[in-house]
Amino acid sequence: MRLSNYGRGSVRVSSEPRPSGSGWTGYSLTVTKWLVAFNLFAAQLVPLDRPGFAHLVESHHGKVVLVDVWATWCDPCREELPKLVALHKKLAFDLITISADEPEQEAAAAALLDREQVPQPRYIKRSDDDQVFIDAVDKQWSGALPALFLYDRKGARIASFIGDSDPADIEAAIHKALP
Amino acid sequence: MKLAWLLAASLLGAAAFAASPVPDFQLVDLQGASHSFTSLKGDTTVVVFIAVRCPVSNAYNRRMEALNKDYSSKGVKFLFVNANVNEPSEEVKEHARQVGFTFPVYRDSGNVAEIFNAQVTPETYVIDKQGMIQYHGAIDDSQNEARIRKQGLRAALDELLAGKPVTVSETKAFGCSVKRARPHRATE
Repeated sequence: MRLSNYGRGSVRVSSEPRPSGSGWTGYSLTVTKWLVAFNLFAAQLVPLDRPGFAHLVESHHGKVVLVDVWATWCDPCREELPKLVALHKKLAFDLITISADEPEQEAAAAALLDREQVPQPRYIKRSDDDQVFIDAVDKQWSGALPALFLYDRKGARIASFIGDSDPADIEAAIHKALP
Repeated sequence: MKLAWLLAASLLGAAAFAASPVPDFQLVDLQGASHSFTSLKGDTTVVVFIAVRCPVSNAYNRRMEALNKDYSSKGVKFLFVNANVNEPSEEVKEHARQVGFTFPVYRDSGNVAEIFNAQVTPETYVIDKQGMIQYHGAIDDSQNEARIRKQGLRAALDELLAGKPVTVSETKAFGCSVKRARPHRATE
């Protein structure tokens, strides 16, 4: 795997470029999860690129997963975070946050997640082309925030919530996905 | 016709735009007067959905001014539309004054964002003389002007004005969701 310094002393776990035929992305995400588990990514966000996203939900196979794409500049996203944390405490699903912020906002994003006690894993998108990242998440998605994507235990996306959403609707969708 | 167009746009998103001309719609100016798209449009028209409270939209204020200035003389008409129901007209008016917009800002009369299936601010639609949408998407590819690599809207306008087909007709960027009169929520 390749671990390298990535700005302001944070650690980058990148899946691009990757050695051919090595299953590199899945491997690096596994390592990332261990690092996250040992709190080595505390106070900073894990960079996530397009191939990384493709393997992200896969790496949570067997769990209901709610992916929250948010940004510090997005008021409704910030308002939604504590509601998602409350839901996460109540229901057995994995909450994954991906900040759509630019690198210069990473520290502010991490501080906000700390303040709201948002659980790991916490990612920040890394992409030279946001359109590529947006399409990797969902080709039908415009890039509007807030954006929540719910996946079932098999990794199939079963619901999307774009824009301001009623927490009751999100809770109902998660309930439906849980046995 | 409008209903069929609206349905197609909702189901297929921007891909539906290629199928038929944009139906006429009404925009309301900040003095409360209603104007039809037909009365406002130019040979080439750019409809831009903007917002008052969206930092991404605001990051483009200067670029929107520059676009309007650069292309107005070439026969392009820009229609800047605020479709956010949570931003009252007085707030839109005050924002335009503070920012110093030299162009008018219009309000959605109720269904314009729905007709276009506009979801994000800023979001642009380039409409040609025949009423067909030739480009849909972002102004450019970075909120931060220093990082712009692709000028999606300018490239499309330049090609269209040169009589060439638009090479990249669809782009995306992160932005704030449009607070429509009828909320949009995609659910599988």
